[in-house]
This record gives sequence, C-alpha cells and structure tokens, in this order.
Amino acid sequence: MIELNNIEKYHPAKGIKHYVLRHVSASIASGEFVSVMGPSGAGKSTLLNILGMLEEPTYGTYHFMGEDITSMNERKRIELYRNHIGFVFQAYHLIDEMTVQENIEAPLIYKKIVASERKSRVADLLDRFNMVAKKDLFPSQLSGGQQQLVGIARALVAEPSLILADEPTGNLQSAQAAEIMSLFRKLNREEGITIVQVTHSEKNAQYGNRILTIEDGVVRTDTPVAGQL
Amino acid sequence: MFKLNLKIALRNLWRNKGYTAINILGLSVGMACCLLIFLFIRYQTSFDNNFANASRIFRVVSTWEYPEGIFRSKGTPRPLPPAMREDIKEFEKVAAVQHSSAILKVNLPDGSEKLKVNRAIFFAEPELFEIFNFNWLKGNPSVLNTPNTVVLTDTVARTFFGSAEQAIGQSVIMNQGQPLRVAGVLANMQPNSSFPLNIVVSYKTYRDPNMQSWGSVTSASECYVLLKPGVHPASLQAPISRFLKKYYDGTAPGKEGHLLQPLADLHYNADYGNLAGQIMPRNELYGLAVIGIFLILTACINFVNMATAQAVGRSKEVGIRKVMGSRRKELIVQFLTETLAISVLSLLLACVLAEMALPGLNSLFRENLSFSLFSHPVIFVFMVGLVLLVSFLAGFYPALVISGFSPALAIKNKISQAASGGMGLRRVLVVVQFAITIVLIIGTIVILEQMRYVRNQPLGFDTQAVALVSVPNDSLSRPRFANLRDRITKIPGVTEVSLCDAPPSSMNNNQSSFSYNSTRDETFQINVKFADEHYQRAFGLKLAAGRFLARRDITAEYVVNETLLKKLNVREPADALGKYIVCQGVKAPIVGVVRDFNNMTLRETISPLLLCSRAASYELLAVKMEGKAIMQAMPQVEKTWNEVLPEYVYSSSFMDEQIANYYESERVTGTLFKVFAGVIMFISFIGLFGLISYVATQRTRELAIRKVLGASTAELVQLLNRSFIVMVCCANLVAWPLAYLFVTRWLSQFNYRIELTVWPFALAMLVSITVTLATVTLRSYRAAKTNAIDALKYE
Repeated sequence: MIELNNIEKYHPAKGIKHYVLRHVSASIASGEFVSVMGPSGAGKSTLLNILGMLEEPTYGTYHFMGEDITSMNERKRIELYRNHIGFVFQAYHLIDEMTVQENIEAPLIYKKIVASERKSRVADLLDRFNMVAKKDLFPSQLSGGQQQLVGIARALVAEPSLILADEPTGNLQSAQAAEIMSLFRKLNREEGITIVQVTHSEKNAQYGNRILTIEDGVVRTDTPVAGQL
Repeated sequence: MFKLNLKIALRNLWRNKGYTAINILGLSVGMACCLLIFLFIRYQTSFDNNFANASRIFRVVSTWEYPEGIFRSKGTPRPLPPAMREDIKEFEKVAAVQHSSAILKVNLPDGSEKLKVNRAIFFAEPELFEIFNFNWLKGNPSVLNTPNTVVLTDTVARTFFGSAEQAIGQSVIMNQGQPLRVAGVLANMQPNSSFPLNIVVSYKTYRDPNMQSWGSVTSASECYVLLKPGVHPASLQAPISRFLKKYYDGTAPGKEGHLLQPLADLHYNADYGNLAGQIMPRNELYGLAVIGIFLILTACINFVNMATAQAVGRSKEVGIRKVMGSRRKELIVQFLTETLAISVLSLLLACVLAEMALPGLNSLFRENLSFSLFSHPVIFVFMVGLVLLVSFLAGFYPALVISGFSPALAIKNKISQAASGGMGLRRVLVVVQFAITIVLIIGTIVILEQMRYVRNQPLGFDTQAVALVSVPNDSLSRPRFANLRDRITKIPGVTEVSLCDAPPSSMNNNQSSFSYNSTRDETFQINVKFADEHYQRAFGLKLAAGRFLARRDITAEYVVNETLLKKLNVREPADALGKYIVCQGVKAPIVGVVRDFNNMTLRETISPLLLCSRAASYELLAVKMEGKAIMQAMPQVEKTWNEVLPEYVYSSSFMDEQIANYYESERVTGTLFKVFAGVIMFISFIGLFGLISYVATQRTRELAIRKVLGASTAELVQLLNRSFIVMVCCANLVAWPLAYLFVTRWLSQFNYRIELTVWPFALAMLVSITVTLATVTLRSYRAAKTNAIDALKYE
C-alpha cells in the first residue's frame, strides 16, 4: 500500500540543512498495524505527516496505492486522502464550535456525500461507539477519552483504508489509553484497516504487528511484534 | 502612573503593529474629514456675528400672498424706508441700501484716463453705518449726507488712488459724467460678511423713476432697521399692520406684507438672499454635521471591533495584573490611556491630511478656509474635544470588557470569545457600519444620476454656442443697438444675434399680473421676457401656432407659451391668436404661441410666459455662433462691442455655463457625497480587513483541522466569507428603507426628477458585496492556504 523510497526531509535554517529524515525507505502493506517509535525529535511525526500528505519530502519518492504522490498536484492529493486516509491526533483537534455529531459529519461534507447518507453513517458510528446520548454535546463537555473516541469516529466515518494516528493516547490516562488501543486493534483485525501510529509507549506498540524505530532521522530497526496482545 | 501606563500602551501598540496601523489609519481619515467639516461649519456660522448691536438689527423684507402661494423678496418699495422712519416709533434707525453696478472711471491728474471698471456699488444712507459699526479709517458716516460723495474700502482706495490718504478728496466718475468725491475710507470688509460694501455712494445721489412708487419692488433695494433697546420684534406686528393699511390700498392681486428678518438669518435663508449673494442653508450645514458624526462613528466602530477582538490576547496580562493587586478602575484607566495614545497619534496624522485636503475643499466651495489654530483657538478646543470623545466612545467599552475578566480564568488562558464582548456585538457594529456606508452609496448614485438627468434634460431651446454679452441700456447707448447688432451679425461664424432682457432660462425673472381677453386680472402671474424678433432663431424656439414677434421697439404684440394656454383652459393654440392681453398697462394682441421651454431652473416647473419687444428693457445680446467658430468669433465680438460702446465695460458669459451654474449646489452636494462615501467605504473596509484578519487568526486551528479532514482551499475561503456576506446582506436590508426615505426627500425638491428604480439599491448591494468579498478573500485566502501542520503541531 505504501512505498517510501529514500525519503529525505530537511529544514533550511540559516544556511545549514537541518535534517529531520534521512534516507528513509520503507514499505507498508495493506492490513498492517505499524507503530513508529523513537525519542523526541527523531522525526516520527514528520514521517507520519509525509505519509498523510500533509508535508512534502525534500527528496525521495512516495507511492501510495501504486500512485506517485510526490509528483501530484494539491487537488489530486486532497482527493486521495479524503477517500483513503483518516487522521487521529494526540490533542484530538475537534472543532470546538461543533457538536459531537457535527464533528463526525464534517469529513463527509467535504466528500460531497448527500445529507441522508451522512446522517445514517454518523448514526451508525455513534451507535457503534456508544455515544448516541452524547451526540449533541460539545467537545468541551466530554472527557479526554471520549473526545479521542469522537476523533477516531471522525477518522472512520469516511471509510478510509489507512488511519494515521499521532500519539493517539498521549493525553489520556492509562485505562482510557488501553481502551483506545484495543479499539485500534479491533479495527485492524476485523475491518482490515491499515493503521500507522506514532507512540512513545512500548506497551501501546505491542497492540500492533510491526515496530519501526527511528533515531536522528534514520530507521534503526524494523521488527515484527512477536507476541501480539 | 500615567507615564508608566503610556509607556506600556505604546509598547503594546508597537507589538500589534498591523492592528495599530489599521486603527490609526481609519481614525485619522475619519478625524481629518471631521476636522474639515468643522472648519467649514465654523466659517459658515461666523457670518455677520461681529456687529455690536447684532441682536437688534433686522432687515425689512416683502411678501405677496397669491392664491397659488407666497412670493418673497428681500427688497422693499423705495419709499418704504423714509415712511417707516416716520411712522414706526420702535425703530431707532432705518437705513435704505440700493444695490447697483456702475462704470467707474478714475483719471490721472493730467485728465487722462487711469482706469475704467464695472463694479458693484451700493447707494446707502448714513444711518446704515450707525446700525452697523463698520470701521472707518478716514471720515465718518455723516459724509454720506451730501450728494455725490463716495466711500471706498482700503483695498479699493489703493487700487484707485494708491493709498487711503491720497484717495480723500479725489473724484471718481460714475457712468460717464457724474463725478463723485471720495469722502471716506472704510476698513476692508471681512470675507465672512453678507455686506460686501466696497464702494458706497451717498443715497442722495441715487435717482430712479420709481422713487415714489409703492407698487414696484426690486430685490436690489433693501432696508435695514435697528430696534430700540428692549423692543421685542414680536411686539411690532401691530405697528406694521397699521403701516401696511396706511400705504397699500389692497387692490393689487397679491396681498402685500412686510416682515422683519433677523441679521443672524441673512446668511442662511435661501428664500431671500443677501447683498453678498452667498447663502448657506442651515439644512446643508446640518447634513454635513451628520455626515461628520457618521464618519467618526464608523471609525470608532472599527476601533471597538479591533479592541474587543484582541481582548482575548490581553486576558493573561489582565489576570496577572489583577493577581498583583490592580483594581478594575486602574485597568480601565490603563486601557483608556492606550486609546488616548492612538487618538492623539491619529489626530496628528489627521491634521496633516486635513491640511493637504484644504485646497480641494476651498476650490469646491469657492471659499477661503484656513486651518489656523492661533487665529481661531476654537479649532484647538474642537480637536481636544474630538480626541476625548473618540477615546471615550472607542475605548470605554473594550476597557470595561477587558478589565472585567476573572483573574483565575484569565491566567489559565481560558477566556473564551463569548466572554470578551463576543462576536454578537461585533456583528451588530459591523452591520451598523455597513448600513451607513450603503446609505451613502445609494445617496451618491441617486444624486449623480439626478444630476446627469438634469444636464441631459431637453430644455426646449438651444443652449450650445450661445454667448450672452451684456449691453448697457441708457439713452446714450440705446440708439447704437442697431449698429452693434448689424456689425456683430457680420462677424464670420455668427449665425444670429438677438437683443433681449434675459435668456429663455434665467434666474432673473420678471413676474407681472395680467388680464386675458377681459378687463379682470387673472389670479396668477405671468413671466414676462422682452426680446426682439431674432430671439426665436437665436435660441431655436419652436412655434406651436401663429408667428413670432415682428420688428418693433415698443410692445405692440405678444407671443405666449403653451403653459399659459393650458392655465387659461384654451385647448387649441390657434384659438388664442388675436385675443388681447393687458400686461403692465399695454394692451396688445397675441400673434403666436411658442412650444414650452424651461424658463426657470429645472427645480421649478415651466411658468406661463409672455414674450414681447421693448427696446428700453434690453440688457443682453444673445450671440448664436457655429460651434466651431466660437474661439475665433468671441474676440471679434468683444472688439466690435468696444468700438461701438467705447465708454462702457464689456462682459460676457455662455448660456450653457449659466445653466451649469444653476446646479452649482447640486454639484457641490454630489462631490461631497462622492468623497464622503469613498472615505466611509475606506474606513469600513479597513475595519473589515482588521476583523477578518482577527477571525482568521482565531480560527487557524479549526481551518487546519478542516483542511486535514479534506476541505479544499475554496471551501475554507467560502467558510470564512459566509458570515461576512450575511452581515453585508443584513446591512443592506437595514440601509434600504433609510436610503429610500433620504433620497425621496432629496428628489422631491426637483420638478424634473428621475424615477426612483430598484437599481441604485441593487448596485449598492452589488458594490458592497463585491468589495466585502474582495477584502475578506484577500485575507481568508491566505489563512486557508497556510500549512495545516504549522497550526496543529504546537498544540
């Protein structure tokens, strides 16, 4: 599904190239659950952003579902990730002025899906996540874990084939974190959604089936998870 | 404390350079306009207010009541002043003034001519100078008791004789042969005076055949009175009605009346006019003042919007200050200091802008305003007042909001938009601002459209390439008219020359009572124009029946217009031919009917009209030329004129220029509206830009999320713009009825006016929406284009 070839990313800072990623090559197949790990500032988030087409690599090529992303124009790229990628953020990034229901509905509006179908898909998700009672609340009225559930529901509503999650449990207590991680595993196993998550926690990484370790912009290790939780 | 506040205020302003610039720009433009409007209003209200007895000085004016309305004149019958002096004991002084013009000649000591000019002169009784305390440099009012004396102002004395000293005792020759002795010199008249008494001739010099006639009134003979101290003008009704009974027999069609017009009304009352010919109706001054208030209001609204929008950013500072022990009052003072600093900076910029715009204003109003703080300290007072008012209007509400934050929440940066005055108030303010702008846009469109309509309105006669050359009419010049006309007709390019008293459309109209085919006077008056047989061709008038006047020097036949026949209920123009009209004591048959043409300005309707010949009344030579020949022909006309009438002074104008002059006040109003609509639009839109910048910054995170969820740039721009478009539409709805009221009232003063259609309103809406979209998109596009990652990274 994802082919990264010699990806490099640097920020020019006062004439010196400040490398974030160097010669990163990796391939992720459909149905995998990959955890990207590493110390702070290693380039994990940048890698995720490149995967999510929010940032462009300075060098290297990126093929997503067989298409070369790096030579694509913005419109096509937006088209791609509208249909195939869902994002989950550490800080949830829900829109404060919208209710739970409206937040989940938002991506469908941009996909130009008709109102009736939008309603049924949102209702379906609310039901699945046991949030029907909370659909008219605003994000500020929910706990962190509940907010992240809404964030995941929003990522799922467009029926993506890939979910990119940047420390999805970073702001949560461990009990809530475990709940979110098992939800991810369930989605990966039962619905075959490819998941790439960035995480600091060894424990969370065990929910996936592969771990990429990045240090100083370079992929150090690429190991399968032995005993999946 | 104040110094510290000021320092912090200036630092804060510097930190938010963009917002500060928007605030200062908007405020200073608004203030500059206010300042100019104030200068103008101050100048206009300063007229005639520096006379010692101002509150006791009145002008006697005349009215005639006709069935169709009241006719007014600032003139009085010539025998009125002496009669009033005799009969009405409540008057301390009564003085007659006669406005006239004369050819004045000054000779060198050796008898040769030094200069010859045509100047406005005033025949005045010495009492005039006892009523008005003009400053005499040489001589005193009593010199005007002798016939053939003249008093000059300093400037005129200098031009004529070199200096005031040299002028005394010299002689000025009036109208070829009447020597006047210079007996006094007055200080120069102020420009803000309704009394341009530059050349005053003793009233005893004045001769007129109607000296004793109560029935003949010209607006040039004015009468001023000084009431005895303690006399209330209202108490004079009884003596005046006794006076009217004594001198008028009540047989004239219009019922005569006389009123006392206070001196303070002279400059403002358009019903009467004044000697200086400068009128500024109070309504127009009020209109300007309202526009000034609108301007300051829009600028203040900008300020309030920006300040409350920024309030959230200041909340942490407020919290910390409160925790440190600052009281709310001190915080309010601090924020007001900031506003004050902005206002003062804006005022400085405003002064520069006003100074730059002043020449433009002066040429628009043909006045000479000056922006001088030292000669008019009231300007300084106004500026201080303006700064305080703006600081208070613009600063108080935001200060109240910001200082009201709860410290615990503020420190944790948890002040939400709702607590900081909220979008609601800002929306209302923006709608108000836009409503004002839209009213002005609609007003401007309608005024310009009406002016264009008036200019293109067929007048019913030819105005192009017609020169109006004045001719003197006295026993010496009259016999030379025929020669003059013949010689001018022969000039190449001149197609027709006509002698007349006035062009078809004129401000000077001669109204008279008349009878049609009976001995009884009709209930309405008729406009009489004197013209020779060439008048029809010179102005391209069309005949509806009969023929035009034949060659005569006295009135022997009449030509009338269609309106007269309509008013007399004569259906067929031909039916009127041969019927007799008696007007001004002359009975003569109607020989022709002309098609209607506008005989007054387009504010008035066409009135019934009578054309007849009378050489004794001709004052103009209407010279019709080929359009291309004007440049060559005019110098020749002047040369010929000077050869035929060497002892007189030549002057001329063009018909189309004269017509343009009728609409001078509309031109000024139109320009003012254009300028002020532009300025208000500018202020509103920079305010809008400030607001959208703020909103865009506020919503950066939301935009980034939406972008990640798949929104395209266009969708995001649309999202940001939508609420502004809604506001502008609301503003349009508010503005339309107001604008409708305003423009229908303004249009109602014109008899020939445009149909008020929907399109000025639609156009205003289109303009406001387009400009809003452009302004908002400029900023929202940038916001929508920013990289989503930058906004989401540091959460």
